[in-house]
Amino acid sequence: DVPILISEDAVISQPAKILNFLRKQKYNADYELSARQGADTLAYIALLEEKLLPALLHTFWVEAENYCSVTKPWFASRIPFPLSLYLPGRMSREALNRILLTRGGPPLYSLTEVEAQIYRDAKECLNLLSKRLGTSQFFFGNTPSTLDAFVFGFLAPLYKVCFPRVHLQEHLKQLPNLCRFCDDILSFYFRLGVSGHSPAGQDSVDANLQKLTQLVNKESNLIEKMDDNLRKSPQHPPRKLTTLKLAVGGEASSPPSRLSP
Amino acid sequence: ALCFQAFLQMCNLPVRVVCRANAEYMSPSGKLPFIHVGNQVVSELGPIVQFVKAKGHSLSDGLDEVQKAEMKAYMELVNNMLLTAELYLQWCDDVTVEEITHPRYGSPYPWPLNRILSYQKQWEIRRKMKAIGWAGKSLEQVLEDVDQCCQALSQRLGTQPYFFNKHPTELDALVFGHLFTILTTQLTSDELCERVKNYSNLIAFCRRIEQQYFEGHDKDSCSSATSRSAKRSLLR
Repeated sequence: DVPILISEDAVISQPAKILNFLRKQKYNADYELSARQGADTLAYIALLEEKLLPALLHTFWVEAENYCSVTKPWFASRIPFPLSLYLPGRMSREALNRILLTRGGPPLYSLTEVEAQIYRDAKECLNLLSKRLGTSQFFFGNTPSTLDAFVFGFLAPLYKVCFPRVHLQEHLKQLPNLCRFCDDILSFYFRLGVSGHSPAGQDSVDANLQKLTQLVNKESNLIEKMDDNLRKSPQHPPRKLTTLKLAVGGEASSPPSRLSP
Repeated sequence: ALCFQAFLQMCNLPVRVVCRANAEYMSPSGKLPFIHVGNQVVSELGPIVQFVKAKGHSLSDGLDEVQKAEMKAYMELVNNMLLTAELYLQWCDDVTVEEITHPRYGSPYPWPLNRILSYQKQWEIRRKMKAIGWAGKSLEQVLEDVDQCCQALSQRLGTQPYFFNKHPTELDALVFGHLFTILTTQLTSDELCERVKNYSNLIAFCRRIEQQYFEGHDKDSCSSATSRSAKRSLLR
């Protein structure tokens, strides 16, 4: 069960319990908030879980291209063999199950309709968050709170991970204040090397991302080479085709075909 | 269920409440309640609000964008916490299930259909609870969650008459529906009811809406509406 907090002898799982533990240790990001702002925090977290989470789960775990090319290798690389063969698949099935049980059902009868609905809801949620954030640095003024952490936790992976299928990510990128919000938190709290303290977890995540990027680059180089070979191969007669076009559509031929060699 | 009636009455639209045993099957989404207007049938609060808005009635037009975002967030909080807690209590708490839910849900049908249908519904709800992580919660934890939700609502309401000051919105209708149902439905224990009663401004809020929008009609329809809505909410 992840995430897990290990502190001296205590091992705590589940986000709510971790937050409670930290509060008991006197770490509280919401100390300066008013009662009403505390209430708003709960409400916005509920909004994130109901409207944004299904689409995030879908983007990471259910969308076939994303899952196979990014999520599964990424998670499998961090899980010891032989669980790496089984756990990602189970997480994917659980994600689909959760989406169908909470958002499926009439009048949405097929997975495509459910998918369309959850992405519509997610885009609306992102718009609402953007309106609420406005031009402030954080959701409640100039200091971050639990809500900022939650929103960052939901948005940052969506913003930063390079997926093949990206329409929700593109929608997020059209909301500049949310992008700026993620970038600010990343540079303040996840900065490497400058202060001399670089979290080990972040290093290995970066190393894995680098490996993945290298693999992807190698593959795309291979594909480019194959394309080049195909183009240079003598069996491909592009010139004949264009001369045929010129012959057929005399006065109606468009400038590009006239100009082609 | 009551929240829909409250919403429609806040919009000054006349509404007649009818109970049917096959209501779940008549609804386009399988969820109750639904409204039947002319030859159109619409279910669930979101679509009903949109439908009413398309016909020219809206309670939230006066709100700015940030307030609308807040309203939607609070409505999700109510759905996420209160609605799920109500479902948990009706279908996952063994005592309540045996003594109240099974008999009520199966009451329109003959044996053995009543038992089969209510077990089927129970299985469906338990699967959903498991998927969202509520199956592992104890009753005490669920009551804590309800308490937290009521505290948030109470803090947001403060001393105002409605959540967005002077005029009621869909959020007020939704909160009223849930709280009134919790306060007036007979369950095996009064713990849920007691937790809500700790928040005096929420109680005052419920009374205010009841007086303004429900006692305006005959007293008969009000008391029967209460008992019918109590029955209807358990049939959800």
